[in-house]
Amino acid sequence: MLRLAIRNFGARKLRSVATAMAVFFGVAMVAGTLILSDSVNASFDELFGEVNAGIDVSIRPEVAVEGEFGSVPTTGFDASLLKQVRGVDGVEKAAGTINDPRISILDENGDRIGPPQGGPPHIAVSPLPEPFESLSYIEGSQPRTPDEFGIDSISADNEGYEIGDTVRITGPAGAKEYTLSGIAEFGSGASLGGASLAEFTLGEARRLTDKPGKFDAIDAAAADGVTPEQLAQRIAAALPSNVDVRTGTETAAEDAGDIKDGFAFLTTALLVFAAIAVFVGAFLIYNTFSITIAQRTREFAMLRTLGASARQLVAGVLAEAAMVGALASALGIAGGFGFVVAIKAIFSAVGFDLPTSGLGLDLTTVLIAIAVGIGATVLSALAPALRATRVAPLEALRESGGSTEAEVRRHGRRRTVIAAVLSVLGVAIIALTLFGSGGIGSALVQLGVGLVALFIGLAMLGGRAVPAIASALGWPIEKLRGIPGRLARENSQREPARTATTAAALMIGVALVVFVGVFSSSIKTSATETIDSQFAGDLAIVNTDGFSPIPAKIADEVAGIDGVQSVSPLSTVPAKLDDGGEEINLTGVEPDGLAAIANLDWTDGSDETLAELGSSGAIVEQGWADDNDVEVGDTVPLTGANGEQIEVEVRGAVDDQSGLVVGSLAIARTTLRDTFGVTDDFLDFVGFAPGADAAATRNAVDELLASRFPNAESRDQNELKADQEDAINQVVALIYVLLGLSVIVSVFGIVNTLSLTILERRREFGMLRAIGSSRRQVRRMVRYESVITALLGTIVGAVVGLVLAIAAVEALKDEGLVLSVPIALPIVVLIAAIVLGALAAIGPARRASRVNVIEALQYE
Amino acid sequence: MEAQAEMIVRCVDLRRRYGEGEAAVDALAGVTLDFPRGELTSIVGPSGSGKSTLMHVLAGLDRPTGGQVWVDGSEITALEDAELTRLRRDKLGFIFQFFNLVPVLSAEENVTLPLRIAGRDVDDGWLETLLDTVGIADRRTHRPAELSGGQQQRVAIARALISKPAVVFADEPTGNLDSTSSTHVLELLRRSVDELGHTVIMVTHDPRVAAYADRVVLLVDGGVSSDTSVASAEQVHELMQTA
Repeated sequence: MLRLAIRNFGARKLRSVATAMAVFFGVAMVAGTLILSDSVNASFDELFGEVNAGIDVSIRPEVAVEGEFGSVPTTGFDASLLKQVRGVDGVEKAAGTINDPRISILDENGDRIGPPQGGPPHIAVSPLPEPFESLSYIEGSQPRTPDEFGIDSISADNEGYEIGDTVRITGPAGAKEYTLSGIAEFGSGASLGGASLAEFTLGEARRLTDKPGKFDAIDAAAADGVTPEQLAQRIAAALPSNVDVRTGTETAAEDAGDIKDGFAFLTTALLVFAAIAVFVGAFLIYNTFSITIAQRTREFAMLRTLGASARQLVAGVLAEAAMVGALASALGIAGGFGFVVAIKAIFSAVGFDLPTSGLGLDLTTVLIAIAVGIGATVLSALAPALRATRVAPLEALRESGGSTEAEVRRHGRRRTVIAAVLSVLGVAIIALTLFGSGGIGSALVQLGVGLVALFIGLAMLGGRAVPAIASALGWPIEKLRGIPGRLARENSQREPARTATTAAALMIGVALVVFVGVFSSSIKTSATETIDSQFAGDLAIVNTDGFSPIPAKIADEVAGIDGVQSVSPLSTVPAKLDDGGEEINLTGVEPDGLAAIANLDWTDGSDETLAELGSSGAIVEQGWADDNDVEVGDTVPLTGANGEQIEVEVRGAVDDQSGLVVGSLAIARTTLRDTFGVTDDFLDFVGFAPGADAAATRNAVDELLASRFPNAESRDQNELKADQEDAINQVVALIYVLLGLSVIVSVFGIVNTLSLTILERRREFGMLRAIGSSRRQVRRMVRYESVITALLGTIVGAVVGLVLAIAAVEALKDEGLVLSVPIALPIVVLIAAIVLGALAAIGPARRASRVNVIEALQYE
Repeated sequence: MEAQAEMIVRCVDLRRRYGEGEAAVDALAGVTLDFPRGELTSIVGPSGSGKSTLMHVLAGLDRPTGGQVWVDGSEITALEDAELTRLRRDKLGFIFQFFNLVPVLSAEENVTLPLRIAGRDVDDGWLETLLDTVGIADRRTHRPAELSGGQQQRVAIARALISKPAVVFADEPTGNLDSTSSTHVLELLRRSVDELGHTVIMVTHDPRVAAYADRVVLLVDGGVSSDTSVASAEQVHELMQTA
């Protein structure tokens, strides 16, 4: 039987390859993601290995709460700590340094060099003595005056810097022009992962980062005979508890780990999309094997008459499937490298640079790719293979191949029951996930399971619904296009189960696209509505990257501009409730002036409450408070990012579902500064004086920012809304691209099904040609059938996606989500479906129109 | 030229060679025949004699490697595919061994299919006449799967006649039918010639079938071996035996 399977695989080379394509994309995505993540992880391991080379023990401020975005830039610690470290027995040498990612190196237009937004950081560092220094100058020398700086060689290459160039660099203290004194290589030339290092004298680094008399880190080397572990213990014992003392190796692992954790999210996201592509591919494998097995009924029956057992037949089909899977895996692993290149290109287009030093193929990656490829193919072929065993030997003698209508009806009822159960189960799981209570982590898995069940259920139910829907969709085509339309309309209903499965593959992609489109549009609408209703000021000053903090000095300096009446800064810090409890983003508000600029929607208290906040008062967001059982009057213990603990009393509550001002809990900004050491602001709200010339005032603000703080910019209400929309659009665009791969897979499905179908209808095409159909008419007929199938999948998918989005928005109503359906989306999706259907039909239609009439008619 | 006008189909020194070099086979080795209007002609011969090839070439389904073919006064040998398609659509009717009805269309829709392909209006009177003549008027809404083999072939005959073609080609029209159905179908073809004035060229290997014709052309090894008016199946049988 194995030999027969090999022959079958080989004899149908083209089909085998086409079928393998169905899984290829999924495998390529899986392999590519794994290759990418291996390579990125290796890059970061290498990077931080270099950073910490020569360091036995590293001392840094404690990060008690990491926050959503990894470690936050801290305020450093007092330089006097260095003396204490040096006093510890066993310390051979110790030195302190500044290491602050809050600077921006600017080009001549005042824009940040490298990726414009959200890219890797620009880091200000100060020189260290050997053996701690990881920069070695290959050109020029270290900065010697406060007006000089050195830069890493990769950034210098990218920007074309030469010694003596003047470069503007901005930091918490404002912008300043520096002269390039030297270009340094990092370690042995390791990639910085897209980050830029600027080295300043210690004094200048402290001034620029607003850290007078402070260090961000102290490195220590152990005396002979003392291990790094021993030294770490001794230093930890000698220092206050709010510093972290680790060995160099631990630090390297920790630093790399933080970034890798952040990247793991991307890996997971990519794998989710890969899983979608594999799932869609599985539909196609199932369909292809169903069709080919139906076509080979006689062959199976003949084998049965020759004494082949049912098991042998199944084994034969599965062996063929495994070969297709192996082919898909092999192609997929190769395609994985292409996927890496594509993903890197996409990410760099939106401002991220993924560091990948030397792409390598891990054995694990190969094994996983093979497992996914073969597994998906064999599992999908299982049901069709089992169907082959039901072929009775007698069928060898029957006139025509393929399943009879009676046969379909026989299996129909059981199929419908299973399909209905699956669909209901899927809907139930999704509903439970959306409207029940549960963690977000398990929610995604649950949602996935629910969707898989729903999609399979719908695909199976599709067989019942196809005739009616396809007939309706085909009606206008028939009216407009005459006989080719009529035949296409009828043909699309000929094998309802086949059409349903083919369309279902497309349905999945379309459902997800529509869901994302409607859901993201709802988020955008909610976000802009929030800005409309809550932002009463004239300007907001934010970081040019849209999310990083801005220097606190801006608020003071902008307040001094003519025409500016009030400036209300907001700052944030990651904090924990109850030490070890839930992590929140704690907001610091400036009680004076906030009420004038933000329309707070008080559910308890009033703008007066703000004035009475003091150092121990807090206000809560009503929805968050409800979820966390916090009430006005409660006392809430908080732990800040630096480990400090305070207790605050809740004095008021506001409704701010999208968290423009108060996301969860807000206290006085001074408390954030004094207790939690937050030196930066998140944004400044600016209100103009009544009667002030708005344009002139804004101009003055912009000029100040451009000259003093180029990494901040002012945004008015409309620009803020546009920013929000842009940020969401970017993510949505990325998701569309990744879902696009699944849609491509489903187009291959249509191609495959059509090709197989045309094979079955060769005689019919031959006859149509004989009695006078032109090639064009035959092509049209196939094309219209393809378009009907594509429309079928698209329309059902769009409805499913819309319903899911409505459900999701409804479930998140408490978070302030408002349903918004973009009008253009359904139109674009429908047009795309027609185009995709027509594209899918090109090859099959051509083949159908070129059927050799005589051969087709003699063929039996 | 005058003769040609009466001859609905004509071929001169028709040759069809398959393959090249040593392996080349001459399916038609110089066939010259005239088919007058209003006749039922049988082309008979053993398998491999070239009778199917002759029909394919006469109907513009296959191209000759030598010689010329005229259909209804115009030469078709040099026509492009699109022109041949139009010729088949407008001037020829086909009846196949395996009926070749479109399974998704009803009997009536199958009959009118050639007109709809051509984008022509259906002549309702002619359609009713045909459906009545072939005897499927009461089954017009049935799909092919719901009809017997004989009924399907009768639908196919109506389909071949709906566009009032200059000539109808029938390729083993009874090859897949039992003897009762065969008789019905052959009588129908006979009537279409006698009563409706059609021209039918029928390919068969069955002497009994061939005997329904006005004229029997015997093909052997790609050449015309005899061309006679015969009356009975026995005579045809004899012809084939002596060939």
